[in-house]
Amino acid sequence: MGQLLTANVATSMYWLGRYLERIEETLHEINKAYDKIIDVDKDAGVKIYKKFHIDLEYTNAIDFLEKAIRGDHSANLIDILKNARENAIISREYIDELAFGEIIELNEVAQRISKSTEKIDYKDIDYALSLISEIWGAQTKRGHRKVGDYFLKLGKLVEEVDFRLRFGRNQAMTDVVLEEINTIFKLFNPELEIKISENEDIMDSIYKQMDKLIVN
Amino acid sequence: MLEKSTDIHDKFWEIFSKQDRQKIDEFKSYMDKFAVNFNLYKDGNFIEQSLPFDVIPRIISKKEFEKIEKGLIQRVTALNLFLEDLYTDAKIVKDGVIPQEFIDSASGYLKEFVGFSPSKKIRAHINGIDLVKDSKNDEWVILEDNLRVPSGASYPLSIRDTYRKIYPDFFENFKIEPIKNYPQMIADAMNYVNTGGINVVLTPGRFNSAYYEHSYLAQKSGAYLVRPHELVVIDKKVYFKNYNGKRILVGAIYRRLDDEFIDPKAFNAESLIGVPGLIESYLAGNVALMNAVGNGVADDKGIYYFVPKMIEYYLGEEPILQNAPTYLPYFEKDMEYVMANMEKLVIKDVAEAGGYGVLFGHSMSALQIEDLKMMVKANPRRFIAQELIEFYDEKCYINNELVNRKADFRAYVVVGEDVKVWNCGLTRYALDEGNYLVNSSQGGGFKDTWVMEL
Repeated sequence: MGQLLTANVATSMYWLGRYLERIEETLHEINKAYDKIIDVDKDAGVKIYKKFHIDLEYTNAIDFLEKAIRGDHSANLIDILKNARENAIISREYIDELAFGEIIELNEVAQRISKSTEKIDYKDIDYALSLISEIWGAQTKRGHRKVGDYFLKLGKLVEEVDFRLRFGRNQAMTDVVLEEINTIFKLFNPELEIKISENEDIMDSIYKQMDKLIVN
Repeated sequence: MLEKSTDIHDKFWEIFSKQDRQKIDEFKSYMDKFAVNFNLYKDGNFIEQSLPFDVIPRIISKKEFEKIEKGLIQRVTALNLFLEDLYTDAKIVKDGVIPQEFIDSASGYLKEFVGFSPSKKIRAHINGIDLVKDSKNDEWVILEDNLRVPSGASYPLSIRDTYRKIYPDFFENFKIEPIKNYPQMIADAMNYVNTGGINVVLTPGRFNSAYYEHSYLAQKSGAYLVRPHELVVIDKKVYFKNYNGKRILVGAIYRRLDDEFIDPKAFNAESLIGVPGLIESYLAGNVALMNAVGNGVADDKGIYYFVPKMIEYYLGEEPILQNAPTYLPYFEKDMEYVMANMEKLVIKDVAEAGGYGVLFGHSMSALQIEDLKMMVKANPRRFIAQELIEFYDEKCYINNELVNRKADFRAYVVVGEDVKVWNCGLTRYALDEGNYLVNSSQGGGFKDTWVMEL
């Protein structure tokens, strides 16, 4: 990992990974809920947004898309994408060129949606998801992994854990992701490790290690 | 007026006419996608905007460029000798070539740096020299020397990359000089003056107008992009603060901050940016700064007048490239001429840059001319006057039609072990027909420049 990195860039790479994963995970959850709201469970969207501590109100599946994506709440994807773009610009020296271009395009899609008066189409969601897949694909194709790549990956994994915990997904799989995070922590510093204990929240434990990893 | 057509120009239009014009839109989407932009503040708001660009390149013959190259090497060599002399022995002043008053009143002259010689005695490492081609005699004329933090080189690099992808036919059919070596030229210059340690590009930050360029050049030259607070000075040595708290010694800084913001301890104590203690380290010879502090004196519009004299004084040569005919109202004879001919001259305020403070006599009312005359008389050192150069237009493809626009050319000269001129440059064109101001801050756009065998 012979590459220098300022704390600012390391933090930006980490948050870029988190935001991209957050957008991808949220879009997948929106897709699933959209499908259920049509004819299976009208409250599917409400249940999802409860996990984000948001009370979402909508009238039907299309309205759910509208409120989920353009709604005035903290899980607004347009804002998350803006943040992702900012972090990408700060750390662009360390990001694959194609991946960078796709992030900018993803934000353009979001801006177009935010300004459009037309209803949100599920095809926009599919397109955004395909761009995110391309971003991860371009980034993982890089032959020689550098220190910045590990921060990006770390952000992605931390966000994945966050989602797994919020949505109560399979614990064994969550442990696998935590193990992966620990592997990266140890690459940086053998003394860093998330130790799971009953008294401590997993996310708090991760953040403590992050504070030791990036010295501001 | 356009330059006369050559076989190559004809061939260019032949190939261009066969290209899919729809593909021109791909340029814009590519440039937007890769955020090739120029930031500015308007009415207190931060705006990111794509720099307007044109797909028709400026074509300069290799032979013609060779003359420009020789002239630029000569000029920048003399300017470096001038700066080194001025801040050490000041022989050029003692010998009466440049009046002391001109030096003292140049805002970029920093008296407190007299006596200091930087690493390898190079002061102007990265230089942007603005030229135009005079349609009256077909000669290139120097309009301005930018020896502090000239910007813009990343834009032609980006557009060339795009051009090669979208319209490869031109590059297959013509012998166009490659330009990818510019970041390496910068890296070589940094390595040459490096005092031991890593190379960094110092940016004011994400919201600076040229942040895209800072990031681009850092990445391509292998230097690390840092903001001021990511450097720390300990015992007169500059260190890069790594994410894990480790400190890495810095040997050369390509700074993209002006002198007054580089170190609050040495300059503006109120400044929130800058690296405290950097100047102490620099003066101790522990770090190289590109470009050196105090260069502003050499690109002062008043000092510009004396550059041909510097060439004769230091090199004993006739200038290969001429200045635009310039008058200094400071001299009585020139003042008389300026007063008698103001309506046909271009008057420049030496304290301004970026196309600001430039007044064209031919477009001013009689009352405005009288006001200006009073201002010039009251403060002759503040202004210079130049003959209006009728420089060539370039063809631009704007809104699906070919139109003529005034265009200048910024050449980049990099000084390390040798003085090198980049085989490209920034061709900037004016926003409107007949407008002489081509600066980005005035709404001007840019185009690629092809140096090639005709």
